[in-house]
Amino acid sequence: MIKVLFFGPVAERIGHHALQVEHRPGIRLQDVRDELAAQYPQAFEIVCFAAANGEHVRDMSLPLADNSEVAFMAKFSGG
Amino acid sequence: MKEAVRIQQEDFSQDEEIRALQASSKRIGGIATFLGCARDFSEGREVSEISFDAYGSMALSELEKLRNDAIEKYGLLDARIVHRIGTVKGGENIVFIAAGAEHRVAALEACRWMIDELKQRVPIWKKEITPQGEAWVTPHP
Repeated sequence: MIKVLFFGPVAERIGHHALQVEHRPGIRLQDVRDELAAQYPQAFEIVCFAAANGEHVRDMSLPLADNSEVAFMAKFSGG
Repeated sequence: MKEAVRIQQEDFSQDEEIRALQASSKRIGGIATFLGCARDFSEGREVSEISFDAYGSMALSELEKLRNDAIEKYGLLDARIVHRIGTVKGGENIVFIAAGAEHRVAALEACRWMIDELKQRVPIWKKEITPQGEAWVTPHP
């Protein structure tokens, strides 16, 4: 399984802080994003950043191992 | 002594952080600090409190990288960053950054760089709670 985390405004639009997506061989970060964006289009309208296992990811073609933790995040507003 | 980089619910003491920074090296000739506070007025509305959400483990690791990057980029002798999460009332402290260097220019520039970078790369989000309702904050440049 792939654990998908949401925070702040994205979590509010989705209604959850975490979801799970079935892992399959060759699955990439973009595949997870596409799958969830189709289910939660309003939440993904504000997604600007992605992370895998706690690191920023810019290349959405990143392959994901089983038990990965990913996050789709809105623009940050800390400070 | 408390860690140099922390995310915590409770308030912090600027004096304590500055003392810890000074204690790290007697070569420090200048310390620059930034204190971010919760405004009680924003976008034409009163704000009673601000609620923070964070991707805790990633935010802490990004803050640690940010401190290390600043030390390397500006040749700092030490730096400290503390960010609060949870609920912060108008007028209370949110974030504290301190940079210690041999000379003032490096300390001042590093401090400005760290708060600007924090806003760009650390996964923390703030929601303003007003008498009219709640709204997630759109980042300011």
